[in-house]
Amino acid sequence: MDVLSNLAHGFAIALSLQNLLFCLLGAVLGTLIGVLPGIGPVATIAMLLPFTFTLSPIPALIMLAGIYYGAQYGGSTTAILVNMPGESSSVVTCLDGYQMARQGRAGAALAIAAIGSFIAGCFATVLVAVFSAPLTSVAQSFGAAEYFSLMVFGLIAAVVLAQGSVIKAVAMILVGLFLGLVGTDVNTGKQRFTFGVPELSDGIGFVPIALGIFGLAEIITNLSKPEERSILSQPIHGLMPTMADFKQAFPAILRGTALGSLLGVLPGGGAVLSAFAAYTLEKKIAKDPSRFGKGAIEGVAAPESANNAGAQTSFIPLLTLGIPPNPVMALMIGAMMIHGIQPGPQVMTKQPDLFWGLVASMWIGNLMLLVINLPMIGIWVRLLSVPYRLLFPAILLFCCIGVYSLNNSAFEVGLTALFGLMGYFFLKTGCEGAPLLLGFVLGPMMEENLRRALLLAHGDPAVFVQRPISLGLLIMSALLLAAVVLPAVRSTREQAFQE
Amino acid sequence: MRVLRLCLFAVAAPFVVMTAGLAVTAALAQDYPTKPVKIIVPYPPAGTTDILARLIAAKLTVSLKQQFIVENKPGAGGNLGNEVVAHAAPDGHTLVMSTAGNMTINPATYANMPVDVLKDFAPITMVAQVSNVLAVHPGVPAKNVAEFIAWVKSRPKQVFFATSSPANTPHMSGELFNIAAGTDMTPVHYKGSGPALQDLVAGQGVQAMFDNMPSVLPLIQAGTLRGLAVTAAKRSPTMPELPTIDESGLKGYAVVSWFGLFAPAKTPAAVIDKLHKEVVASMSEPETTKKLVEIGTEPVLNTPEEFGKRVASEIEMWRAVAKKANIRIE
Repeated sequence: MDVLSNLAHGFAIALSLQNLLFCLLGAVLGTLIGVLPGIGPVATIAMLLPFTFTLSPIPALIMLAGIYYGAQYGGSTTAILVNMPGESSSVVTCLDGYQMARQGRAGAALAIAAIGSFIAGCFATVLVAVFSAPLTSVAQSFGAAEYFSLMVFGLIAAVVLAQGSVIKAVAMILVGLFLGLVGTDVNTGKQRFTFGVPELSDGIGFVPIALGIFGLAEIITNLSKPEERSILSQPIHGLMPTMADFKQAFPAILRGTALGSLLGVLPGGGAVLSAFAAYTLEKKIAKDPSRFGKGAIEGVAAPESANNAGAQTSFIPLLTLGIPPNPVMALMIGAMMIHGIQPGPQVMTKQPDLFWGLVASMWIGNLMLLVINLPMIGIWVRLLSVPYRLLFPAILLFCCIGVYSLNNSAFEVGLTALFGLMGYFFLKTGCEGAPLLLGFVLGPMMEENLRRALLLAHGDPAVFVQRPISLGLLIMSALLLAAVVLPAVRSTREQAFQE
Repeated sequence: MRVLRLCLFAVAAPFVVMTAGLAVTAALAQDYPTKPVKIIVPYPPAGTTDILARLIAAKLTVSLKQQFIVENKPGAGGNLGNEVVAHAAPDGHTLVMSTAGNMTINPATYANMPVDVLKDFAPITMVAQVSNVLAVHPGVPAKNVAEFIAWVKSRPKQVFFATSSPANTPHMSGELFNIAAGTDMTPVHYKGSGPALQDLVAGQGVQAMFDNMPSVLPLIQAGTLRGLAVTAAKRSPTMPELPTIDESGLKGYAVVSWFGLFAPAKTPAAVIDKLHKEVVASMSEPETTKKLVEIGTEPVLNTPEEFGKRVASEIEMWRAVAKKANIRIE
C-alpha cells in the first residue's frame, strides 16, 4: 500500500537522531508552556521562529509542531490542577477535571487526559496520512452559511452544557456574545464598544477572560474560605486510574477522537469547538448526566481526546491546501516560507521527506509526551500540596507574566484582574463561566459568517435553508433547543441538576 | 524623573541652543546608540513585518554594538504601535517597522487618526515590498485582465472579491481596480488572508481576490487559483509570466505593500543618516537579500527623502480612492 510505504519512509526520517532530539525538545517546550497559564503556543512559536533560521526545515518544523501538540497536553495539567485553562481548548477540561482534583483524583484525571490525548493523537496521525484529501473536501463544502449554522448549533449546545438554571446559562451566553462584540467590526472596520481605549480596538483577548473568570475567581473563592482547603483536605488516591475508570473513559476517548478529528479540519474554532462538542455529546448520551461537572471521568477523557485529535487534523488543510486554519498554522506557514518551502498542495509530492517525516514525527511526539507526562503526574499532583500562601502568589505571578507577554500590554493584565472579580461574582451567583466563553468565542464568528452569507446572497435569508448542510445543522439545532425547552424534558433535567 | 529632566533642560536650553546645538547632535550620532534600541512592530508576531523587523534587529545588534529589541504592539490597524513611536523621545532609541497600510491607507480612511504621519515621523528607509496579485477561482472564464473586466461588467453586482481586512492594500487594490476599470465588484472582508483564500479556493461565494503574493503564489502554482495580473508597476521576478495590471490596459495602476523603518519626527538628522547607512548596508548583503526573497518579498531600499515623498504621494492617492469608493473607518 502506498500510504504504508510512505509512512515507513516518514518514520525512517523522523527516527534519525537529530529529528528525534528536536521532536523531544518541541514536546517538552510545548508541555512547559502549556502548563504555564497565559503563555500559549502562538507566542512561543513566534519567538522561536528566528532560531529556526539556522536549522534545516525538517527538524525546524518537527520542533514547532511538537510545541503545538505538546501545549495541548500541558494545557490540561493546569486546567485540572488549578482550574486555569491556558488554552481555549482546555476550558471544558476544567469543568470535571478540577472537580476530580478536588476529590483527590487529580492523578487519575491527569493520566486519563494523557492517555486519551495519546490515543487521539495516534488515530489522528493515521487520519492525516490516509484521509487528507477527502477530509479537505469536507472542509471546502463549508461556506459562510454553513459556518453560521454550525455556530448556532454550538451555542445551543452550550445551554445543554451548563448545569443548573437554563435562564442563567442563556444569560451567560449573551454576556459572552456582548463581550465578543467589543473591537473592530470585520465588515466596516468600525470600532464597537471600545470607548476610545485603543487597547480594546482588536477586541478583548481570550486569555484575559479565561484566566480571570476561571482561574483568578477560583483563587479568590478559595481565599475567602481558608479553613476548607478543599484540595489539600482530600487524601490523594492512587495516581493511576482504576479499571473502572478505564471502562468508563475508553468509549468516551473514542467518541471524542472521532468528533475532534472531523471538526479539527474546519478553519477557525475547530479545536475549541471539538472539545465543547465532545463534552456535550458525552453529557447527552450519559445514563446519569448529573455526574457531569462533579468529576465525571468521561468529562475529562472526551474533550481532551477531541482537542488533541483536532490539533493534529488541523494540519490537513495546511498540508493539502496550503491554507492555515488557525494562527498556529499560519506561523507554520511562515516557518516553511523562511526555509524556502512554498506551502500548498505540492508539499506532499515535492517534499515527501518533509510531509511524511512530519506526519511520522507527530506519532513519535505523542508517544514521547505520554512517556514524559505519566511519570510527571506524581510531581504535578504534589504541586497541590504546596501551601496556598506559596502556590497562589506563584500562579498569579505566572498569569501576569503570561498575559503581559501576549501583546506587551499592561492594560490586559488589568483586564484579567477585572474579569477575576466578574468571575467571583458569577461563582457567588451560581452562573457558569463555560457558556460565557463559548458565546465569546463563537459569537463573533457567527456574526461574521451571518453577515458574509447575507452579503453574498444579496440579503436573502433563505440561503440558510437552501443549502443542505446548513439546513441539516439548523434542524439539529432546533431539535436540541426543543429538547432543552420542552417542559417535560426540562422538569426531568432540572430534577437531575438540583441536588 | 521626567519633571527633573525637563527642568534641567529648561535651565540649560538657552545656553546651548545656538552654540552647542550642532556639536551635541553630532556627538549624539557618534555615540548613538547609547542604550538598547526598541523596534516597535505594530502587528502581532510572525507576519512579514515582524520577520523583517527581527531580521534587521539581528543585523543592527551586531553592526551598532547595542541590543536592538523587537516589541510587538498590535492594535487598531497598526495605529496603536505607530502612536507609541510618534510620542517616544526622538533620540533614535525607539523606531517603528511600518507598512504601506498603516502609514498611507490609514490616514486616508480613518476618521480619527491618533498620529499625523507626515508630521510625526521621520522616514529612514523602505526595506522591502510585496506585490499583490489578482487571482480568481478557476471556474471564472476570464484568462486575462481584459476578459475579467468584460466578465465582471456582464454580471452587474454579481461579482464579489475577498479581502484579508478592510482598508489594507489588498482591499484598496480592488477598490482602485473598480475605479480604474469601471467595474462594480463588492468587497467581502475576512479576518486574515487564510479564511478568505479558503472560501475563494472552495468557490464559496467569492470569485476573485487581491492578495499579497506570498500567500497566493503556491495556490496559483498548484492550479487551485488562476492568477491574472500583479498590482505592482513592474512584473515580479518571482512570477514573471504574470503581466501587470498597468500593461493589461489600466494605465498608471500601481499598488504594492511596502515595509519600511521610521523614527519619531525631530530625531537628529545625523542619527537618521547613521541608521539609514547601517540598514542599507546590512540589507544589501547577498545573504540577507536571499532571505528577503525566500519570505516572498522584493528587497527595496531608498533614501529618507525619497521615502518621505513616496508616503506623501500615496496618502494623496488613497484619499482620492477612499472618497470615490466611500470608505471611512470610524
